Amino acid sequence: MAILKTDNITMQFGGLTAVSDLKIELEKNQIAGLIGPNGAGKTTAFNMITGVYVPTKGKIFYNDMDITMKKPHEITKLGIARTFQNIRLFKELSVLDNVFVANHLRLKSNWVSSVIRTPQYTLKEKEMHEKSLDLLEKVGLIDVKDEDSYSLPYGMQRRLEIARALATKPEVLLLDEPAAGMNPQESQDLMSFISRIRDEFNLTILMIEHHMQVVMGICEKIYVLDYGVTIAQGNPFEIQNNQKVIEAYLGVD
Amino acid sequence: MKEKTLRTLSWGWWLKNLVTNKNNLYTIIAIVFTLLIIGVLNNTLDNYQIRIFNLCAIYIILALSMNLINGFVGLFSLGHAGFMAIGAYTCALLTMSPEVKQMNFFLKPIVPWLANVQLPFPAGVLIAGIMAAVAGALIGAPVLRLKDDYLAIATLGFAEIIRIVFTNLQSITNGALGLKGLPNTVNVWWTWGIAIATIIFMILLIKGSYGKAFKAIREDEIAAEAMGISLFKHKMMAFVIGSFLAGVGGALLGHLMGTIDPLMFRFLLTFNIVLIVVFGGIGSITGNVISAVIVTIMMEILRVLDGKMDFGFIEIQGIPGLRMVMFSLILMIVILYWQRGLMGTKEFSWSWLGKISRRVVFRTKDC
Repeated sequence: MAILKTDNITMQFGGLTAVSDLKIELEKNQIAGLIGPNGAGKTTAFNMITGVYVPTKGKIFYNDMDITMKKPHEITKLGIARTFQNIRLFKELSVLDNVFVANHLRLKSNWVSSVIRTPQYTLKEKEMHEKSLDLLEKVGLIDVKDEDSYSLPYGMQRRLEIARALATKPEVLLLDEPAAGMNPQESQDLMSFISRIRDEFNLTILMIEHHMQVVMGICEKIYVLDYGVTIAQGNPFEIQNNQKVIEAYLGVD
Repeated sequence: MKEKTLRTLSWGWWLKNLVTNKNNLYTIIAIVFTLLIIGVLNNTLDNYQIRIFNLCAIYIILALSMNLINGFVGLFSLGHAGFMAIGAYTCALLTMSPEVKQMNFFLKPIVPWLANVQLPFPAGVLIAGIMAAVAGALIGAPVLRLKDDYLAIATLGFAEIIRIVFTNLQSITNGALGLKGLPNTVNVWWTWGIAIATIIFMILLIKGSYGKAFKAIREDEIAAEAMGISLFKHKMMAFVIGSFLAGVGGALLGHLMGTIDPLMFRFLLTFNIVLIVVFGGIGSITGNVISAVIVTIMMEILRVLDGKMDFGFIEIQGIPGLRMVMFSLILMIVILYWQRGLMGTKEFSWSWLGKISRRVVFRTKDC
């Protein structure tokens, strides 16, 4: 059974069709890639899945539940977390608080009990704190936990963004260009990091990526978009030998 | 039965936690000390000074309530004067005696359901806050979908609407004549008591999980929403709590002045609070408390500028409003040189104090 399924979703902005009839099916624990030239509609697809845009046509199913009309925060609560192409950390918050705040959605106490610090709330807060530390430990950011997040080097900011998404306890993780701006060595590290968190947190991952080395090395299934149209899908080997994909990337004579 | 004992046990643990934590103990000592100082000042200051002292506390409440909305959640709201008007009028109408009301409403008699109401002052303040919060919820529901400048314009507009409505509701608010002879119940214990309670409330709220969620929304709305934080719920929460506090502040201000009229709640009043918030640091409780006191006292000290000045060689025949010119200048200098106000988003904490004092001690040892 597919954990995440998009049923022919289409997104139109006025006369422009950014994505048309996209069909994605993710099996549990799969790592899938979404590739395509600039402006192909990859991020738009992410925005539809996470509820930022409501598709003009089509439906999105998560564990057989229709989530097409749900708000972004509801979708995150259900178990789909994401990162952003241009890093969107909470800049003035410390590294620890960035992760802590991602636990907030699982807090059941209301604001009054948070102000008077009821025992239930205090316990839960402590638990959230410990979980955040634990997560930072796992992603190797524990040494910088008190730094402001904007002061971190680029690679660490990327990792913090992934850690923050993991703190919401997702089943499906959407990564928007996690290797952007990384050198070959860094992207190599990122690849092993991604497959490690997949196993450790039992995740299903869909990622947009331009680094072919990363995509081909890690993804089990790849979707190729060009001008919003899915021109190919399959395993890395099939994609590499697909004539349409080569034309989309390199052009036609 | 078992569950009940468990709950009392855990509340006992909570109480124990409160007392055994060293920082909490310091805080309690600091509060007691502050209350002592207030008591001493209450007995040594003259009437005029006590009035300013009260005003400081009221401006602390108002600044913090605006800071919650503008500083912590990052909503650019300028509707404070409106919520204060609601609070001030509610409290005034609920606490004035029937005779005073009759004297006030000589143009048109007061509506019968308000004519004979007289509640004690605390109830009046509480209901004032609740009324302002209800207004905040009603206004916030449509308006909080807007962002930045648009939100500022919309809230500013609502504040003006409230004022105009109050000017025209002759049989409820006595219109442009205003209300005179509000019961003189406000003293330093009321104002500073509520101010200290507000400070503690704000600290607990901001340090908790909800406060962090507020800050996350301020930093990046899109990311906050993607982290599962409901923007609307949290914005509404802050807006309604802020309105409540503004209403309470307005009620206290009305009773301190003893007379209120719609003109008092013009945009200028909101501007005064914005000045305090910006000066103290948008997003710092400590900064706002300090700047509320400084600005309120400066407003009075600079009154000299409005009057006649004699420099020996030249004599100025008092220019009313020069004080506000000075304030604009000060604000400009602050914005130019300390863009983030006195404190930025930094806060006072006991560990910070410990660090500073240790550094001072070490430095003196070196010398």
